[in-house]
Amino acid sequence: MKTYTYKKSQELFKKAAEVIPCGIYGHFSPAPLIPVTDYPFYIDKAKGSRFWDVDGNEFIDYMCAYGPMVLGYNNPLIDAAAEEQRKKVNCGTAPARVMVDLAQEMVNTVDIADWAFFAKNGADMTTFSLMVARAHTGRNKIIRLKGGYHGTAPWMQSPDHHGITFNDNKDIVMGEWNNYEALEKYIHEHKGEVAGIISTPYHHPTFADNELPAKGYWKKVEALCKNEGVVLIIDAVRTGFRLDYGGSNEYFDFKPDLIAFCKAIANGYPISSLVGTNEMMNAASNVFHTGSYWYSAEPMAAALATIRELKRVNAVEKMFETGTKLGNGLIELAKDHGYNMKMSGHPAMPYFRITDDPSLMLHQKWCGECTKRGAYFTSHHNWFMSAAHTDEDIAETLKIADEGFKAIKE
Amino acid sequence: MSYQLIKAGINLYAIFKNLEDLIALDEESRNLIKGKKISIQFLVKNGPKAWLQFENETCKVGQGIMHNPSVKLWFKSPEHLNKMFDGEANPIPLKGFTKLGFLQKEFVKITEKLEYYLKPEKLENPSKEYIEINTRFTLTVAAFALPEIVKYNREAKLSASHIPDGKIQLWVLPNDPAVFLTVKNGEISAQKGTTEKPDAIMEMKDYQTANNFLNGKSNPFLAIAIGDVIIRGQTNMLDSLSLILDKVQNYV
Ligand SMILES: Cc1ncc(COP(=O)(O)O)c(C=O)c1O
Repeated sequence: MKTYTYKKSQELFKKAAEVIPCGIYGHFSPAPLIPVTDYPFYIDKAKGSRFWDVDGNEFIDYMCAYGPMVLGYNNPLIDAAAEEQRKKVNCGTAPARVMVDLAQEMVNTVDIADWAFFAKNGADMTTFSLMVARAHTGRNKIIRLKGGYHGTAPWMQSPDHHGITFNDNKDIVMGEWNNYEALEKYIHEHKGEVAGIISTPYHHPTFADNELPAKGYWKKVEALCKNEGVVLIIDAVRTGFRLDYGGSNEYFDFKPDLIAFCKAIANGYPISSLVGTNEMMNAASNVFHTGSYWYSAEPMAAALATIRELKRVNAVEKMFETGTKLGNGLIELAKDHGYNMKMSGHPAMPYFRITDDPSLMLHQKWCGECTKRGAYFTSHHNWFMSAAHTDEDIAETLKIADEGFKAIKE
Repeated sequence: MSYQLIKAGINLYAIFKNLEDLIALDEESRNLIKGKKISIQFLVKNGPKAWLQFENETCKVGQGIMHNPSVKLWFKSPEHLNKMFDGEANPIPLKGFTKLGFLQKEFVKITEKLEYYLKPEKLENPSKEYIEINTRFTLTVAAFALPEIVKYNREAKLSASHIPDGKIQLWVLPNDPAVFLTVKNGEISAQKGTTEKPDAIMEMKDYQTANNFLNGKSNPFLAIAIGDVIIRGQTNMLDSLSLILDKVQNYV
């Protein structure tokens, strides 16, 4: 099997490094792509479940733009809906009608939603959710959980990071995933101080196995929040519309007060949303939060079409199925080669790890070997399935994975 | 005064640690201790304690108190020690008055040579050999400075608390010099050399790369992306580590 090289990617990166801090910053930084020489840095085009890099190499994509791609790249239906709106107006002096239609669609689709607010990025909405919780309760403290990611605003980062101060984190309290007792203890000891708890519906940290909620965990947290007047915020930026149309909390059978959506909401068009219950609406109305592009109508049209299309093609069920097939196939293959592959998290966003080497070095090598043969795998982050991934993609991926296992033995 | 305390710890535990390699690698320095057997205890009130032992043309540097040193030097504060390192103060000898000649002559020459190898900016065109030694020393200083910074700097302590327990290997390719760090419950300890089964590895392509990287002259993300610095394993350990490494230059 041919292995890829990335001459043009690397040349372009060198140029980029001269005019862009870090060359490629943030979550696309090549730093966690290990070995870095096995990965492309720049994309040229994409279609369906695949993308082509600037060197012309073709990949079956298991990162899906780190989540936004859910119905296939360049999905004609979504692009047509967006284009139709763009021709009328995108960024105007007032909102377009589509905004109301989209809000209605969110309210109709997401179980707890009585209203929907729109912005651009996930962090716009996780930050807004804190403001709403504080406005609603008149309290300051927010509990977030270790290893949870909510974006890059100062409150979301540890104060030892560059550019962040201890003051930025003054009212942020760190809890622990699946540790109900600690949450309860803190809230009871700080009665009337905690405005909200923000958490992902299940734990999907990087560099570690993903963890589902323990039995009864969410029900207990929900009850605690109700009793103590604490706003329960679910960050579904990653999980939204991949686990359940009605909200990924529904998949785990509990009801938060607020849910933040982003990635899968518009198949790559820039939009995010916070939805909430009636009880939260007054606070959401009182908080001032906006942005230059938050009313742009093209992504709203794309989101409306995406949510409808997700339901029409049974995307959630499909991603569960293909993710499970991929997982079972990889586990089986690994076994044939004498390795133990562990799959954790949800099948639509699986995290894989070869457990034989706890340092991850073997797993990194395998991910690199597969990537340079055409199956784009990362070793530090959960992967993403899309409704565009086909059985043929999975079959081809497993062939590549088999070669990957052979390569790491050499 | 955590700044002075950290600096004193770095001076005694990290800068002086290089005396071992200086004596091993630099003939001129080695000649200065030929036939001499001298041990020196450094005592800093409310601060670090370390000892040096010159014997059989080798040098050993250790933390804590040594048994029956030939010379005992006392400092009234971490600041006092740091001033001595800057050539602005003298120690208070408590023991070994007959050896003061060594301290004033040979030992001064040895520490001057150490400083020479640690300050490449003073040279116009450093030789390959010079860069090799400078890199080795820089790596040692960085590694042995980390525990001191973590002990007394609030942000560094937080960064260290985020590093999962395990071992981190840092080395300059092809395979030398190397140091490794052991992280346990948010505390870091440093050793020279290599360890079996590290949890994370950071390899620097060559001396020049290591130099730039360790002296904060290159951006870590960039260096990694272009392959100058190669990382493997539980590299999330390195994310927090690099935040602490960034602070080393504030103290040396
Ligand atoms: C769970 C979660 N929350 C929030 C965010 C932040 O979203 P954004 O990068 O769009 O601000 C992300 C991004 O990856 C995420 O995964």
